Amino acid sequence: MFYRLSGIHHTNYVSDTRLYKIPADRNLALFLLALGLAAPFLVGSLYLNSYMLPWLVWTAAALGLNLVTGWAGQLHLGYAAVMAVGAYSAVHAAKYGLPWEFALLIGGISAAVIGSLFAFAALRVKGLYLALTTLAMQFVMDWVLTHSPAISGGSHASLQAPTFALLGQRITSDTGLYYVAFGWCLLVTIFMLNLRRTGLGRALVAVREKDYAAAILGVNSFYYKIVAFATSSFIAGVSGAILVATFFFLAAPEQFSVAVSIQVLAMVIVGGLGSIIGTYFGVALILLVPGVVNGLVAEGAGALGLQLNVESLAHIPNAVYGALIIIILMIEPLGLGKLYGNIRDYLRVWPFDQFKK
Amino acid sequence: MTIFNRVTAAVLAAALGLAIQAAAAQDKKPIRFGLCFDLSKSYTFVSPQVAQAAQDLAKYTNDNGGIAGYPVEMIVRDHGNEPQRGVECYEQLRREGVFLFYFLSTPVTNALLPRAMKDGNIVLQSFVGRGDAVDGKVFDWIFPVGPTYWQQAANDVAFIKKQMGGDLRKAKIGFIYLDYPFGQEPIEILKTLSEKEGFELKLYPVPLPGSDQASVWTQVRRDKPDYMISWILAGGHVVASKEMKRNGFPIDRYLSVNWLNEVDIKNIGAEAAKGILRGTNVAGGQEVPLVKTMLETFYAKGKGSGPESLVRDVYYNLGLAVFSVGFEAARLAIEKNGSPLTPESMKVGFESIKDFDANGLMAPVTVTLEDHGGGGKTRVERWDGSTWVPLTDWSADYTDVVWKVIKESSSKFTVK
Repeated sequence: MFYRLSGIHHTNYVSDTRLYKIPADRNLALFLLALGLAAPFLVGSLYLNSYMLPWLVWTAAALGLNLVTGWAGQLHLGYAAVMAVGAYSAVHAAKYGLPWEFALLIGGISAAVIGSLFAFAALRVKGLYLALTTLAMQFVMDWVLTHSPAISGGSHASLQAPTFALLGQRITSDTGLYYVAFGWCLLVTIFMLNLRRTGLGRALVAVREKDYAAAILGVNSFYYKIVAFATSSFIAGVSGAILVATFFFLAAPEQFSVAVSIQVLAMVIVGGLGSIIGTYFGVALILLVPGVVNGLVAEGAGALGLQLNVESLAHIPNAVYGALIIIILMIEPLGLGKLYGNIRDYLRVWPFDQFKK
Repeated sequence: MTIFNRVTAAVLAAALGLAIQAAAAQDKKPIRFGLCFDLSKSYTFVSPQVAQAAQDLAKYTNDNGGIAGYPVEMIVRDHGNEPQRGVECYEQLRREGVFLFYFLSTPVTNALLPRAMKDGNIVLQSFVGRGDAVDGKVFDWIFPVGPTYWQQAANDVAFIKKQMGGDLRKAKIGFIYLDYPFGQEPIEILKTLSEKEGFELKLYPVPLPGSDQASVWTQVRRDKPDYMISWILAGGHVVASKEMKRNGFPIDRYLSVNWLNEVDIKNIGAEAAKGILRGTNVAGGQEVPLVKTMLETFYAKGKGSGPESLVRDVYYNLGLAVFSVGFEAARLAIEKNGSPLTPESMKVGFESIKDFDANGLMAPVTVTLEDHGGGGKTRVERWDGSTWVPLTDWSADYTDVVWKVIKESSSKFTVK
């Protein structure tokens, strides 16, 4: 009905390795792309600037974490720290007078260097021990930021970023900043989509499933783990820099604290490990739903004429938000991405789903 | 009973007059304050009291004719101390025409500083955010009326100097602080003053969140400082009080930053906390005229904006102080530039505040184009077992040293 497909039949290898094996999926992706491009003309500046923009930047960041956690299967609890490395190095580079293109690159590279240096030490242990080691990295970074005014920008630990510019063009409008975030998120998404059909992607999945087995097959698991950490750190670094350059306009330690690390991990888990569309959903849920529910509760209480005190008004949305996460993970433990997949698979054969069985 | 009748008539007439004024106030567009607060995460120890004070003060003002005839509206929202949600709150309210904001969270205030400065919206920034924002030349739209932590620390040293007979050369002052920017801020000033006054400064960093202080207090026992200046928060004071008892340090030599309230006192024990010192720019206790008025007008009749227990808390007084200054600025702005109120006229209003003390609620402030902090006067109060007793008059000391640090820091803020 929607997918108009009687099965997937590949007659050659090219068609088998296509990015979208089902035309409807490709059309949907193109439609979403067009929607993203047209967003500045479709939604108001409030939604563009305080919902869409952070959503896209965080999605890019979360995709990076998904690479290391979802694809390579390594739990990472210090992701925000790597983002901080990128953000601070980029802002310092830009303040030094370098153009932002190089500043972003420097942010990404320094994050990749520090991230993989750390991985060298951390990857000697596995599983929960690795998670704890990455958490240690987060605390080290927190400590460094709060104890070195030279990095964090004086005794108030807030570092103002120079105006963002690309190709010598200063970007200050809501629309311009949105397109920067959109462009970066698009790049990361395309990279992640293609990762699935590269040797690197398959090696990472092999390492995730069982690193001994991967080693027997000739996949150097340690090497690929390092590569996963380095790549994801690069994405984290640039995302952190873009977040500061287009959204916060200054870097502060609280923007990259341990709570943020947990939050990004939550985005990836709620969205679905190894799922790209799921990451988009997960970020929307973790990042945007608290604010949206807050607004809804406030308005609902106003409309009903309830005289709630300010504290209850603040706590009800938290309870709703928490319940929402639990309910979603109870319905589908594999996350929102899988939930979407279920609906898609159902619709693919609808109304002839009896033939599937 | 003619006198009684006359009094009744007078009261009735006054009430009627108020009612008419109040009705008139309804017609005009309200002056709106956007309170994007952290009501659910880290700042819950202070934000409910401040929000309640703001609402009470707005209600009281509206019942009495508003500000120059304009009613006041408080829009309270939660941002959970997350910069992202703070931005969301700010951007939404900004588009609804709100141009007066108070964020009451350092991370969120910092995150919003560049936006507010660019948009030209007024941010009340008392007690949170970067201290150098008192430099009105750099931070045009930011009004952190009240003392900076630098000024507070300097005033604390001046107090100790007075207690020790005007000579600090043989003194030893300990500084216990939470080891992150909030606590580290005064160190520079203290170091400068220690050189200037010749006292010995001992630093005792405490890791967040301040629940582990055992090792620093044994150090204190060894060092025997004359006074301890404390930059820790909420539960940290309770831990400190236990450690003081264990290590034989007298609690009446413990001088806290303004973040020490009745809840902490209750957790320490009202009797056990007797003598504890607190530097502040807002008078504590319920004997303050404005707090008394609120208790009598609203809480005696059960019409307050929240529970009465929150009124019996110094942070309620703090909230009243912040918004009294805001209201006074709005009044002056309308008086000078007429209505309607705009960010520009509000800025002028703020900068015309002179010797304003909200009827004894706070240290008198004089805000100028250069000094958005209002002078930074504080005093030291002592807990006597049931209320706060002031030990000194309002004063600001070592202002030249403090301003040197402010200027140095604010000069680094602007980037192209």
